[in-house]
Amino acid sequence: MRRADFYIGLGLLAVALVYFQQSFSILRGFASDRLGPAFFPRMLALLLAALALTLIIRAGAGRSDPSRPPTIRAGMLAAVLGVLVLYAAVLPALGFLIATPLMLAAIIWSLGLRAWASLAAAALGVTVVLWFVFARMLHVLLPPGLL
Amino acid sequence: MLERFALGAEIAFQPLSLLMMLLGVAWGILGGALPGISGSIAMALLLPLTFGMNPAVALMMLAGVYIGAMYGGSITAILISTPGTPGAAATVIDGYALHKKGMSGKALGVSLITGTIGGIVSVFILVALAVPLSKVALAFGPPEYFALGAFGLALISSFVGRDLVKGAISAVLGLIIATAGTDPFSGTPRFTFGAIDLLSGVELVAGMIGLFAVSEMLHQIAEGSAWERIKGKFTTNLPTLVELWRLRIATFIGIVMGTIEGLLPGGGGAIAAFISYNEAKRWSKHPEEFGHGSLEGIAAPETANNVVTGTAMIPLLTFGIPGSNGAAIMLAAMLLHGIRPGPQLFQGTPQIVYGLFVGMLIANVMMLVLGFIALRPSIAIVNVRPPLLYASILALVLVGAYSISNRMFEVWVVLITGIIGYGMRRFGFNILATVLGLVLGFMVEANLRRSLLISLGNPWVFFTRPISAGLLAFAIFTLLWPIVRQVRDDRRARRALAPTQA
Repeated sequence: MRRADFYIGLGLLAVALVYFQQSFSILRGFASDRLGPAFFPRMLALLLAALALTLIIRAGAGRSDPSRPPTIRAGMLAAVLGVLVLYAAVLPALGFLIATPLMLAAIIWSLGLRAWASLAAAALGVTVVLWFVFARMLHVLLPPGLL
Repeated sequence: MLERFALGAEIAFQPLSLLMMLLGVAWGILGGALPGISGSIAMALLLPLTFGMNPAVALMMLAGVYIGAMYGGSITAILISTPGTPGAAATVIDGYALHKKGMSGKALGVSLITGTIGGIVSVFILVALAVPLSKVALAFGPPEYFALGAFGLALISSFVGRDLVKGAISAVLGLIIATAGTDPFSGTPRFTFGAIDLLSGVELVAGMIGLFAVSEMLHQIAEGSAWERIKGKFTTNLPTLVELWRLRIATFIGIVMGTIEGLLPGGGGAIAAFISYNEAKRWSKHPEEFGHGSLEGIAAPETANNVVTGTAMIPLLTFGIPGSNGAAIMLAAMLLHGIRPGPQLFQGTPQIVYGLFVGMLIANVMMLVLGFIALRPSIAIVNVRPPLLYASILALVLVGAYSISNRMFEVWVVLITGIIGYGMRRFGFNILATVLGLVLGFMVEANLRRSLLISLGNPWVFFTRPISAGLLAFAIFTLLWPIVRQVRDDRRARRALAPTQA
């Protein structure tokens, strides 16, 4: 994980810098205390920067864990993430009852199940159960969308 | 004291409370049996359903899930050698050996009965320690609370997971996420990037669902291996009294280890389960049976992980520091209902605390009964094909996130924290530390600022007060210890190499 650690360290350093810089745009309220709303965030930014540097130096000096992370099913993961993000994007427009069975079917299909009957049954069945529990029993206003 | 228990029992024995606890325990057993769904994930999935409930009932139900999951985890550990929860990892060793000998029923029975004993004993330990400790907590001022928060974060960064630097980074990230929103002191917005949705900060429940549940689903999809189907029919056989008496030492060890792990912030009983397994082997009259199907090898870890369900509530209820990931979910549920843990909780709303005490006793008894009934449904759900399971759980997570405040914002929070959590998990970071940072962020910052307010800006206030100084000394020791150990090990390794090089 040496290379990964090195780049993760750089990324975290960037996060710390942006976070530190953002702390200067906090307005100081009238009724504030001695330290103000920016002190603790700045302290955390410095702490994160120091830790990120440690990670980078350790990886550069070859002292971090040399084992590689296990291989992943990248295609499957990307497909599922894509479906989830797309679902969140279209849910308000399409509505819960239309978007959810499509999302379920797409995920089940991406995960390699091709038995159409159980795929359709699960997509519809889970949607109905969730709708019943959340909309009917808990009175959550699920996005109506087109319906 | 007694009238407070009566108050608690009044709530816990209401038909609605009993029903919700029964559903909670059943949900916990099913979730616990599923590989990948730990007790805390099962609790997180149920959280959105508890918003509308009376807070006392919501907490009892969540505690029921936690308790049920500890037994559920052993079902898959015993029948297919795959721990359903991390706490059941040690149970695999002898559980699966017994299964191969055709003694699965007995293994399940021992897990169920020792788990119930552990769970009930832990409620008594909880009452015995939490009530006096809540009085100690009264003496805590802002500097002590700040030091306690720092100690908890230091402990989880250095002892959970193998990498101190990555553990500390994880904790700091959690604290950073917690600073987004409106500053509680001055009322000014910070790190909202102009988004109105962020003014109230990152909802704790959404962050936890993302970090615990979504990241685990992504992990299973990307790296998980399929588990076996459970074939055949099984029944739970309780051990006879004579058999149970032979397990007394293993059970006792489990109680001691579970109590210690519960008191310290950290894992969900997995460490206590392993230590108990090893100690039970050391103290056993038949250590040679361990690994080949010893009932003691099941009793020790299964007692330990159930004891954690009660003892992890001790630091949570008295100081607001969760002793396990399950307790962290309980804290999120409390904050959501506007309950602040601490001594005021014992004084102001005893029905919630004592309701939880009585409720946890009832839930343990329910587990003993449901352990028989829920075995077959648990096997059925474990045999559901993973794609159907993962898709359903992800759908439940997203709808649950939406229902937190009827808007899309939490859905995005859950997805983003889920992706971050998966990345952290993959590269050896420590999700538990992030969750604890997220949970304690407000408490640590508020008490830091309050301390300096009362000390008129003098930072020595943390070191001149004995409790605060002691806690900070522990925190520093916890962080330095892994470094000292590393240097010592390096030196030893070099010394061992030296003669061969000469």
